[in-house]
Amino acid sequence: MTASRRLGWNSLLLGSLLAVSPVRADELAGPRYQIQGFAAQGLIGSTNNRFFGDSRNGVSTKFTEAGLHGTWQALDAVRLSGQILYRRAGESDQDGLRVDYAQADWQFYQTEVSQLGLKFGKVKLPYGLYNETRDVPFTRSGILLPQSVYVDNSRDLLLAAPGAFLHGASVQEYGAFDFLLGWVRPNFDSPSVDYSFLGNTRPGKLEGKGALGARLRWDLPTDTTLMLTYANARAEYAPGSSDTLAAGKVQFRNILFTVQQRLDTVTLTAEYGEPRFDTAGFGPFLPNSHRVIQSGYLQGEWRFLPAWELMLRHDIFYRDKHDKDGHLFAAATGLPAHSMFARDTTLGLRWDTTPNLMLRAEFHHVDGTGWLPGPDNPVFLGREQRWNMWLLQAAYRF
Amino acid sequence: MAQAYFFFWRLVLLTSLLSPLTASAGIIVNPDVEGHSISIASLRNIYTLRQTLWPNHQPIVVFVLPDDHPAHVAFAKEKLGLYPYRLRQTWDRMSFSGMASAPIQVKDENEMRARVRATPGAIGYTSKDMVYDGIKTLRLE
Repeated sequence: MTASRRLGWNSLLLGSLLAVSPVRADELAGPRYQIQGFAAQGLIGSTNNRFFGDSRNGVSTKFTEAGLHGTWQALDAVRLSGQILYRRAGESDQDGLRVDYAQADWQFYQTEVSQLGLKFGKVKLPYGLYNETRDVPFTRSGILLPQSVYVDNSRDLLLAAPGAFLHGASVQEYGAFDFLLGWVRPNFDSPSVDYSFLGNTRPGKLEGKGALGARLRWDLPTDTTLMLTYANARAEYAPGSSDTLAAGKVQFRNILFTVQQRLDTVTLTAEYGEPRFDTAGFGPFLPNSHRVIQSGYLQGEWRFLPAWELMLRHDIFYRDKHDKDGHLFAAATGLPAHSMFARDTTLGLRWDTTPNLMLRAEFHHVDGTGWLPGPDNPVFLGREQRWNMWLLQAAYRF
Repeated sequence: MAQAYFFFWRLVLLTSLLSPLTASAGIIVNPDVEGHSISIASLRNIYTLRQTLWPNHQPIVVFVLPDDHPAHVAFAKEKLGLYPYRLRQTWDRMSFSGMASAPIQVKDENEMRARVRATPGAIGYTSKDMVYDGIKTLRLE
């Protein structure tokens, strides 16, 4: 009797201990939050044209990036994350401090090697290899990303936007798969986006109506990465007072192909896309147009020493695939043909001085002004076809 | 200094190539992790943040030493077959985009052992394949 009562007490005690232990385990299971950040300063000099400030007549210091990133595992299946970003890039980006993104990710299905989740909020847009971390200097292949694909001119459009993405990942024998599929309301309302879509800053407002985005990534066991990104974004124009433009519509569509092969200390990367860009209904001052852009680059990175990396890249951008050298455009508008293309050859050097400090140097030789930032070079006819640019950057992380 | 580091790296690589059977870096886990061995594929999936749960669905907590720590360099190259800078690239891509948490970095092997001992679901590594109190050592398959 006594024995059985004792047994009863014991099992009750054991039972309550077992019931309590998962909670205690949960509290101990590593930190539930993480904070990391970075700060970087660039110096830019150039010939003939300006990039991120007045780099032509002197050395521009107007390229500053700093970010504070936080992640909080609120529940086992829910992770909150966000980033506050400070960015200054010449005349094109003077917004200073902003919320880069703030999202909640609900991982509603998890097994050992597969996950399915839904992320929503102001979400990072998947676009090629680098877009989601394009402002974190350490994650880029150079001080500047290839401008053909990651046009800094229309970065606001590609960055992050309110919406939701379904995502999944799974590891199989023949490689690891990831996908993202979602809908967002992109941000078209910025002077540099006006420049690249409407040819100038305009008194009215371009309002993003909706965008569909999808990305498939396959990492093969051969250290190869294959990726396909699809984007389809629409915007409508609300004319301002005494505006020469009517209430038109723009649409941007693209399929971006990515291939990367890693061979010991060498990384070879290529990305290619033919974005389609339509404008309609803007009235006589901006005729309807349908353009197929051609953009892509080839890039090699070589870690020749554990802390040193050399990068060589050739990047091409044609604003109109059917008028690559811009002659038709020049004949029709009287404006310089070189604004229709840009071919950029880049040589870069990276030194990871310590795990927290990175120093970079980069040289660009550019033929064409296709992606030259408009706000830094307001005089259209003052732009020159051939120009060189060097950049230095110091980046610190914690 | 970079030169010296490079020589060191090469030395580590050379040593590992010449003596593949020498017990070097050991894989350590919290005692509550089930099993006695782990496959190379699974270890690589864990350290590239693709595998986030143990087979019994307990969340994995990943610990690492600093990128330039000799034991980390050896572990990355010998056990994972990846250079430390490639691991860092993966962690940065996953963490700054909000898709995963980066591994938790500890400052030395003492802290590594202490944290793995105290954290349920934890995995880490040490430079010597030894038995430590309150920590389980996993055999690499």
